[in-house]
Amino acid sequence: MRAYKPKDDVQKKSYYTDRYWVAPQVPTSQVEDDAVFAADLAAIKAKFDVSEAYIQVEQMVVYIKPEDNYGVLELLRDELGYTQLSEMSAIDWIAKQGQFEIFYQMLSMSKRKRLRIKCFIDEKQAINSVSTLFRSADWSEREMYDMMGTIVNNHPYMKRILMPDDWEGHPLRKTYPLQGDEFAAWYEVDRIYGKEARDIIGPEIRDSAEVDRFDSKRFSRLGHEVPMGYDIKANGEPEKGLEYQEEGGVFMIEKFVEDDAVIIKDRKR
Amino acid sequence: MQQPNRLRPFFENITFDREDNEMIINFGPQHPSAHGQLRLILHLQQEQITKAHPDIGYLHRGMEKMAENMIYNEFMPTTDRMDYIASSSNNYGFALAVEKLIDVNVPRRAKVIRMMLLEINRLMSHLFWLATTALDIGAMTVFLYAFREREYLMDIIEDYCGARLTHAAIRIGGVPLDIPDNFIHDLKEFLDKLPANIKDYEDLLDKNRIWLMRMEKVGVISEEMALSWACTGPMLRASGVKWDIRKEEPYELYDEVEFEVPYSDKGDNYARYKVYMAEMRESAKILYQTIDMYAETVKNNETELMAHAPQYISAPKLDIMTQNYSLMQHFVLVTQGMRPPVGEVYVATESPKGELGFYINSQGGPYPYRLKLRAPSFWHTGILTDLLPGHYIPDVVSIIGTTNIVFGEVDR
Amino acid sequence: MAQHQVNYTQDGGLPVALTSIDKIVNWGRSNSLWALTYGLACCGIEMMASGASRYDFDRFGTIFRASPRQSEVMIVAGTLTKKHAEFIKRLYDQMAEPRWVISMGSCANTGGMFNTYATVQGVDRIIPVDLYLPGCAPRPETLQYAVMMLQKKIRSEKAGKSQRPKRLL
Repeated sequence: MRAYKPKDDVQKKSYYTDRYWVAPQVPTSQVEDDAVFAADLAAIKAKFDVSEAYIQVEQMVVYIKPEDNYGVLELLRDELGYTQLSEMSAIDWIAKQGQFEIFYQMLSMSKRKRLRIKCFIDEKQAINSVSTLFRSADWSEREMYDMMGTIVNNHPYMKRILMPDDWEGHPLRKTYPLQGDEFAAWYEVDRIYGKEARDIIGPEIRDSAEVDRFDSKRFSRLGHEVPMGYDIKANGEPEKGLEYQEEGGVFMIEKFVEDDAVIIKDRKR
Repeated sequence: MQQPNRLRPFFENITFDREDNEMIINFGPQHPSAHGQLRLILHLQQEQITKAHPDIGYLHRGMEKMAENMIYNEFMPTTDRMDYIASSSNNYGFALAVEKLIDVNVPRRAKVIRMMLLEINRLMSHLFWLATTALDIGAMTVFLYAFREREYLMDIIEDYCGARLTHAAIRIGGVPLDIPDNFIHDLKEFLDKLPANIKDYEDLLDKNRIWLMRMEKVGVISEEMALSWACTGPMLRASGVKWDIRKEEPYELYDEVEFEVPYSDKGDNYARYKVYMAEMRESAKILYQTIDMYAETVKNNETELMAHAPQYISAPKLDIMTQNYSLMQHFVLVTQGMRPPVGEVYVATESPKGELGFYINSQGGPYPYRLKLRAPSFWHTGILTDLLPGHYIPDVVSIIGTTNIVFGEVDR
Repeated sequence: MAQHQVNYTQDGGLPVALTSIDKIVNWGRSNSLWALTYGLACCGIEMMASGASRYDFDRFGTIFRASPRQSEVMIVAGTLTKKHAEFIKRLYDQMAEPRWVISMGSCANTGGMFNTYATVQGVDRIIPVDLYLPGCAPRPETLQYAVMMLQKKIRSEKAGKSQRPKRLL
């Protein structure tokens, strides 16, 4: 039996861990320190539940309930002047708490302020679409669904956007390996040539550290070119690289002689 | 051997049996004037588009996933491949985000060099934009002229970092190198000729009847639509919103230089073209000022290029080679990577295409927990859904041209 | 009586050239290599640069065409993703034989730095490749060198008899 490894987070881990090292925090400050943000927060708090709010790196972060997302964004857009939704996406916290964290990055051009609305949803829970408020959310939500697998309600066209329609899995989840699963590894071969071609084409070579200087199939040998598949170990390496013209030139074309060439030093800027 | 039944067409979203006269055509994903791998599914009523459905993802390379499996410094070269027309602007956006996270101050000389690189990149990007858009519309001359100037800029960049396209010229905490000796001279020589060159392009295009017919009153984006689609950069400024992050939320030394923010309230292709041309002139203006600022730092003998934060950033090479403690720090930072504090940051910079934002969520480990790349082209492609209906087939090319989308950035 | 006597042994030499069919066909093929632009990512920009002012590929007879039917060589410039893979196969099949493929840049060669779920690890998993160009992104000079190498390769092939179709499967 193969040893069981938990698959809830297959991302690369640091090999060096210091038990006594306590990570410092990016400093946060109170919302009351900034008058503009304090007024905005008060306006949000008047209508919706806010579980947490602080200022971090010059931007306010507000945690709301997931079902309030449409209302809060509408309030921000129509009354508080946050007219642009710069960015939205999700963060995968499934391994830790079984939830996705969704953030909306807002920009107010009149106030020159940016704030971030955040909420947590469960893995299978759906969130309301805000694409009727901000058209930009149309594509962002599709990307979020494609990459994370978070379901968005009331979206006009909930389909994959970056990956092909028949793709399996959601790549940005922590459970998805960086180099793809079995399906991803054979995707293009299956699609073009069919499953029966797998044996002929062979598996992907994923080891980027693999360097074989006698391999004449996978590496260009600039200056020491050999034909593909040439056995360098048995036949020896050519002293000089192939010249791009035969001796004496080609039919009707004179051979280029380096000594006769004029080399321009200044590129005439 | 290819089996015939495997060569079926790939139209998973399309139904062909329709009663009306609607025709559906497929534009891309490998189309010479689509600026990359954009696939548009266009519903046509004769030659007029009734519905457009952009399909992206043909260059999705999984950069966000890569970032989660890399130390921060390792990710820097990957950012080059986002907006590969102006790679330093991506390097800078990422470097700035991490610098905000770890809270270090970059030395003044590094800031000046960064600004030079950013503005050279903006010029390169805009020249490339002009070349390709003009080529798509049929103006081959402008393509050759603009590429000529772009090559000179690439020479200058190459003198600095050795690469033509993928620079990786900015590090977290500063810049790795001082500028070479002939850099200022070459740059000045280029900048002195630039206004005449820009005038050349404008002479060729401004009053050109074909250019005007393809550009004027085509692809009109209203202010409301631009805001709703999160358009930024020249796309937003051509629609009447005077918003430039360099001016409104200044980073680096942009508050010390003088420049105008060109904008227009027309919102059509021609307005965007004009904004791009004006921005080139402004970039040249900024570059002249940075040359003076650089001379000032030389005079004041400010030679530091990297911030001093031994916890996060390696010491200069000389220290690493001569001092034991610096060597140890360097070893730890290279093998384990820096560990920024727990927290999150979203930093927006004005890349040549628009607002380039990096959202980083750090959990105190050497790898980012989540890194979201906010690339402006993503929404500039999305707006095609609403923008194209009502236009004619030839307008598609000119509209895609002026939106200035780069697919490394759209799909990441 | 001939009014104008031409001295065939002087000046331009004979207006007649003696050569073999192989040579003349290969001469034609190698000097008008029309390239199907397959600009996928960053390398595509360098490919454009090599067609533009400074590097000027037209003087090698390499003219970039946007149609597979008119081109001999496909320059795959950039990252091939799994979503895109089937289109490259379709376009390759549309090219008339004889046809050649240059894989430009690390991504097209082996997947390069993008060792992720979404990229095809080398375009040679989909179509047969004649020349691999290293670099990320290769300079236009490298592409020039590759085209010259390809020209030499074409000249060394037998033109007379029909070529063995290059197929991966």
